[in-house]
Amino acid sequence: MMIEITDVSREYRRGADRVLALQSVHLEVRVGRFVALMGPSGSGKSTLLNILAGLDRPTAGSVRVAGTDLCTLKDDALASFRARQVGFVFQFFNLIPVLDALHNVELPLLLTRMPKAERLDRVRTALKVVGLAERASHRPNELSGGEQQRVAIARAIVSDPALIVADEPTGDLDAHNAHETLGLLRELGSSFNKTIVMVTHDPRAEEYVDEVHVLDKGVLHAPTKSPTPAQEKEAECGARTRREHRHLAGAPRDGDAVAAHEVRSARS
Amino acid sequence: MKYVPLVLRNLMRSPLRTLLTVIAVALAISLVSLLRTLPAGMDRAMNNLSSNSRLSVTNESGLAYPLPYAYLGKIASLDGVEAAASWTWLAGAYDVDEGLTFPSFAIEPEGLAGVWPDWPITPEAHQAFARQRNAALVGADIMKRYRWKIGDLVTLVGTGHFPVKLEFQIVGEIGKSLFLLQREYLDQALQAQGSQLDSAPTLWIRARDPAVAARLQQEIEALFRNSPAEAVAQTEKGYFGTVFSSLADVLFLVLIVTGLVALCVVFIAGNTASLAIRERHTEIGLLRALGFPRRTVLGLLVGETTLLAGLAGALGVGSAIALTGWLRASRFAVEFPVLSDFSVNWIIVISSLGFSLAVGIVAGLLPSIKASRVEPAQALRMLD
Repeated sequence: MMIEITDVSREYRRGADRVLALQSVHLEVRVGRFVALMGPSGSGKSTLLNILAGLDRPTAGSVRVAGTDLCTLKDDALASFRARQVGFVFQFFNLIPVLDALHNVELPLLLTRMPKAERLDRVRTALKVVGLAERASHRPNELSGGEQQRVAIARAIVSDPALIVADEPTGDLDAHNAHETLGLLRELGSSFNKTIVMVTHDPRAEEYVDEVHVLDKGVLHAPTKSPTPAQEKEAECGARTRREHRHLAGAPRDGDAVAAHEVRSARS
Repeated sequence: MKYVPLVLRNLMRSPLRTLLTVIAVALAISLVSLLRTLPAGMDRAMNNLSSNSRLSVTNESGLAYPLPYAYLGKIASLDGVEAAASWTWLAGAYDVDEGLTFPSFAIEPEGLAGVWPDWPITPEAHQAFARQRNAALVGADIMKRYRWKIGDLVTLVGTGHFPVKLEFQIVGEIGKSLFLLQREYLDQALQAQGSQLDSAPTLWIRARDPAVAARLQQEIEALFRNSPAEAVAQTEKGYFGTVFSSLADVLFLVLIVTGLVALCVVFIAGNTASLAIRERHTEIGLLRALGFPRRTVLGLLVGETTLLAGLAGALGVGSAIALTGWLRASRFAVEFPVLSDFSVNWIIVISSLGFSLAVGIVAGLLPSIKASRVEPAQALRMLD
């Protein structure tokens, strides 16, 4: 299980008032699943996303992600957890304007001990995965919205995290780019066995995801879309086959999307 | 090292703001460096200029009131006086249109070697100065400035109390920025105009021993007490000390201004850093979300301000060194020889660079600490 959220509540103070953003939420997400969190504004979607990404802490309950109990981690350990295990995609891309695409994608790798040449190899491969190898030297203001979001996705996968969280990734895109972005996330999830949790209002997202969970007033309802047992079995077999395939191909480690892509490119 | 490109690109985010900040800090550091040359420069100038066995005698009412020339003979006859000479400022200008004067004094040739045996004058130059009425001993810097050489005939016009036009022949070199002429030559020129040189603003004596200087000082003052022109005597060190002590209050004010300038720089740099960091609130939140620890974010932000201030400090110190070097080589050093003693030494270089780095750290630290504590979710507005 990639995500195990048990009885999580989150309370905020707004002046003298107390706002209950999440109420006794339970959520389990298996490895390799593409999950959408939907619901009206103010329903607690982003709060839940922040908690499972290690950006916020619950007031009560427990959160385990990739086998780590996030509630027990101190700030620096939580930052280290995010650096190793979580990739982020945001609605407004959040690229650093003074850095070109290559250096934006490199950011998460600066926290590793990876030599520069290896870092740049990985960055170029990540840009190739999202189809932007030729735009590496372009700054964000020289890229379209769709391209900027793909750079952000490359940044999210470059350090090979187990979990990708996306906060309204299509919210600032036109229909064409929204479909491309959702398709790319779907492809990354299924090809590299990444778990993706996405907050969205976009009804188009339903056709790309495995599960849809709806939040309303801080309460998580039963999923409106979830795989049938047969689909689950097929997905599990598919994931195992992909892991074995990469193992035989000599991929550096299980689930390493960027490294696997490198091997696959070399073989082809 | 892997963060250096990120720091540099952030510094170049707004080139104009970076440039203006660098210029502001560099100017302040340059000013601080220049002002800090003053105390050491004045000490050095005084040590170069003065001796404890030489005494000056001036009118008690001030330098504007000369002493009767007859005093020189009376003082010279006192026990313990090795030599005596008078010192009259000609205020001679070579290029009258330019209005540039340099230190030019009329003196008795026989008193020159006796009172100032430590001055570097060759015996030949001294003999020629004593022998020839229109002889002049000229400093190396003045000769260089006007491309004069020994043997040249030059004409000076008196721009002060003595409206005379005198032709001199340069017979030797003396120090850097001094022009000495025979007192008798000036006296004759004045007599030709119907007046005469019967006074001197300053008389100088050299005591046989520094130990008797204090006694001579008292004797000289007692000698002319209750006369129409009472005299005050003091050692050369004391004389220049009096001149410089009037500057001490100014120097104190200058040092206060220096401190205020330094404080202003910290505020300016701090304000700029604060603005620059505040407008990157979202980006800092992004770095935190990506897993950058607080200390790394803090290091990046403080690194930026420190690099900026260090660069500005290097420019400021460099410009101060260049300016003092230029002053030493310029015509101003001929007119004001004391300028030659003001230089930016290694202590000033290191302390100014250290100060500029400290400005960078202090200015960057507060806004950076605040920024590094940002909650990523809030900064990225990932709130429902």
